[in-house]
Amino acid sequence: MKEVDLFFGPQHPGITGNFSVRVKIDGDTVVKAQAIPGFLHRGFEKLMEMRHWMQGPPLICRICVPDADHSETGYSMAVERLAGIEVPERGKYIRALTLEMSRLSAYLFYFAGYGGSIGLYTIAQWAIGDRDYLLDLYEELTGARVYHIFNFPGGPRWDTPEGFEDRVDKVMDYLEKRLKEYDKLYFNNMVFLKRSQDVAVMKKSYAEKMEVTGPNARATGWAIDVRKDDPYAAYPDLDFELITQDEGDSYARVMQRRLEFQQSIDLVRQITKKLRSMPRGNVRLIPNALHWKIPRGEAYAAVESSKGELGYYVVSDGGISPYRMQVRGPSISHGVQVYEEMIVGQRLADVAALMFSLDVCPPDIDR
Amino acid sequence: MSEQEIAERIAKFPGADVEVLRKGQIAVKVPAEKGHDAAAYLKKMGFAHLVAVEYVDWIKENEFELVYNLFSYKMKMRAFLKVRIPRDKPEYITFMDLWPIAMTHEREAHEMMGIVFRKNPNLTPFILEDWKNLPPMRKDFDSRKYVKDKYDSIPFAEGGEQ
Repeated sequence: MKEVDLFFGPQHPGITGNFSVRVKIDGDTVVKAQAIPGFLHRGFEKLMEMRHWMQGPPLICRICVPDADHSETGYSMAVERLAGIEVPERGKYIRALTLEMSRLSAYLFYFAGYGGSIGLYTIAQWAIGDRDYLLDLYEELTGARVYHIFNFPGGPRWDTPEGFEDRVDKVMDYLEKRLKEYDKLYFNNMVFLKRSQDVAVMKKSYAEKMEVTGPNARATGWAIDVRKDDPYAAYPDLDFELITQDEGDSYARVMQRRLEFQQSIDLVRQITKKLRSMPRGNVRLIPNALHWKIPRGEAYAAVESSKGELGYYVVSDGGISPYRMQVRGPSISHGVQVYEEMIVGQRLADVAALMFSLDVCPPDIDR
Repeated sequence: MSEQEIAERIAKFPGADVEVLRKGQIAVKVPAEKGHDAAAYLKKMGFAHLVAVEYVDWIKENEFELVYNLFSYKMKMRAFLKVRIPRDKPEYITFMDLWPIAMTHEREAHEMMGIVFRKNPNLTPFILEDWKNLPPMRKDFDSRKYVKDKYDSIPFAEGGEQ
């Protein structure tokens, strides 16, 4: 049969952002694919070289839209390591709270996106609606809904408002209750099962070879997590076990997130419990933002974002701005080479679904 | 194993200049011609994962620095393998044979810094489109001048500045 060259995207239901794939199809089976990133390139790394150290978080939170706090924190931690400063205990817990809330809202976005890409639009509406409760909490805590610009080098900007922990717990109770309804409508839905089971299987050996990280790696049975392997913020004090699955197909990747969603709710509860028992006030160290010089050297800091290892490599020449700042986005592995290889042999209808099942976040490739 | 013990083991590689940066992070400097052997040595030692390839332009020293960011899940340790190559002849060898994912990282470094990786078959345009200027992450690329030249020429009616 004749092969057809098809440009898929940059606007299509498979992605939170713009990302294009050039696929060669035979009938409706993909025989070759080429990922075309770059539609969201805004030159953050270059811009950072012209900004003060403290002007980083307002820029780089835009690297991954649904999961902004992990970007801010990764950068802040790299700068803290270079400057040799330690965030106060309460600051670490507030940081971990924003990170886990960010993970929850990113996973809801993921459920919405994957549901949408296989035609379950009710789920898409539900998840985006439920995500709003988390955004309300963010608005109360930080003043912003999507880009919070809250985690700075030295710690979070301020302490939690009075009674905030109780309101967080209330939203967690709500989300936990909703998860049971998601189970009925989504995770046991025949459409979802038929479209995801045994589709695009990733083996553990392949994940190891291609440096896949995050929930995608854990869904293949590889127990890795930056929160455990290179602990940061309050994670060393929190009690949680890594969840893994063995199948490595689209179904396992979605269920991995569903199980980690419950785990994140538990983590948030642990954090709020601890925050209540801690003395208030001391959350951050404030250097003089405009004249803050960082000693010469280089540092790398990684966080476990909702998509995998998100790392920041920061180089200082002793000045008031970074000499070089480079981002290691998680999608650089599973969004380009891995995606190009995994989509071969799949059906055209799965081009968008696989992109969401791998949780490709194009802005962290483009930056 | 502590950072110090691992650093001592790495230092057995001839020509390696090892420094413990902080908890869990070790920097390893090697001469450019020994980079590939050192990477293979580190991989065998347990630093089995290539997290990223970082590239820095040290314009005053007239050199590019390539930093291979390696991680060992067993030792819970990061090693930064650093090599320097001359700025006027930015050529290096690919590490794809050790880590297939190096292909994408090198493709990015090629586009953003203009470093040519020998034997990498896929040094095609990656993020930028129709780029004919100097590679943008080089220190002598002037972003302000580029923006002014490119966008000032656009008439106001078509979205340019007045």
